[in-house]
Amino acid sequence: MRTTIGFVFAALLAAVPASAHHAFAVEFDAKNCSDITGVLTKVDYQNPHAYIYVDAKENGQTVQKTFQLSSTSNLKRGGATLPVMNASVGKEVLVRGCASRNGEDNRYAASFIKLADGTVQRLGQDVEGVFGTKVWR
Amino acid sequence: MKTYIGLWLAAMLMLPAATATAQDPTAGGAGQKPFVEARGNVRPVPLPPGGPPPRMADGKVDLSGVWFQGPTGKANAWSVVPDEPLKQDPIPFQSWAEAKIKGMSRAELELNNPGVACRPVGTPGMWTINYYPHQIITKPGLYVHLIESDNAWSVVHTDGRPHKPADELEPLYNGDQTARWEGDTLVIDTISLDERTWIEANGWFHSDQAHVIERIRRPSMNYLEYQYTIEDPKVLTKPWTSAWRTLSLGSEDLTENFCTNNENADQLKKLTEVESNAK
Repeated sequence: MRTTIGFVFAALLAAVPASAHHAFAVEFDAKNCSDITGVLTKVDYQNPHAYIYVDAKENGQTVQKTFQLSSTSNLKRGGATLPVMNASVGKEVLVRGCASRNGEDNRYAASFIKLADGTVQRLGQDVEGVFGTKVWR
Repeated sequence: MKTYIGLWLAAMLMLPAATATAQDPTAGGAGQKPFVEARGNVRPVPLPPGGPPPRMADGKVDLSGVWFQGPTGKANAWSVVPDEPLKQDPIPFQSWAEAKIKGMSRAELELNNPGVACRPVGTPGMWTINYYPHQIITKPGLYVHLIESDNAWSVVHTDGRPHKPADELEPLYNGDQTARWEGDTLVIDTISLDERTWIEANGWFHSDQAHVIERIRRPSMNYLEYQYTIEDPKVLTKPWTSAWRTLSLGSEDLTENFCTNNENADQLKKLTEVESNAK
């Protein structure tokens, strides 16, 4: 059964153009990802990428973390509209982030966020394969 | 088209089982974490063919509609199923051109990509370096192509008029374009392309001699297909024709997507410096 399902999906997607977005895996390290908890302080919806900022506690100090998200086009179509995101500003959230590869501290690509109301919301590319999309260029 | 009808039928039959498997908490495989279920994840379901394509008053196929890449009529950027590259012939680069492209690191490829750098993607980049939907409007004698990516557009006469005289040509991102109908296929012919554009997102640059012939057809109501041929005697050893790409009819409007806040360029420059220092 699993083979058949795999075949059908493989056949379907074989016809889909290679929709390689800006390849996050070049800029961010798929092997250096973590769950980061903190207070969502700001949502900046622009293109080509939106950003969110989270104040996290590290050794008693507050550290601002910057997360690069997908584009506003993908975010809106995926349910992460600006009002949805803004509803969690000032509240605790959890963000899955993969660290920048260029040595800049506290900068990540976000794949999903657990919003203040508990909703797990997709925010970007599946750099590390947590959604099942195991191959990204 | 036959392939798509078959795929659609197969997918319809398999969908309940496939969905169940995708939600299986063991789907990550033995010893691995289960996949994360998140709002926004997409499981691709192809559209049915939808009947014959509409036609305009002059009898030509009407290509009008909002078109998404792939067969689902929706955005697929967050599909949980990895997509496969198109099956195409190798690109017949001249050896120097191939060496130049292979000489770029992945970071440099990203940095130089017009799509990443927020430069106009041009022709055929509006199709090949564009991950967002298209809106096409055709009228007798006219083709209007709008893309969400950086709110770019192109307008082409479809009456088969000649290109501008050589002494009036200037390099343009979309080039000098004219179009004609060959049966139910719209053929757009482009010359005088600005050398700052790429042909594909893989580093494929072109010369001032590039000549692009694009073909667009609508085999059924819900599907649009796109192919291009390129001749570039300074970069390629012979002309090359792409595979047909499939797009499908959406029911959403395009949304504004201006590229106004590009932090990637500076970030990638830092990365190339880090990589260069590590060598």
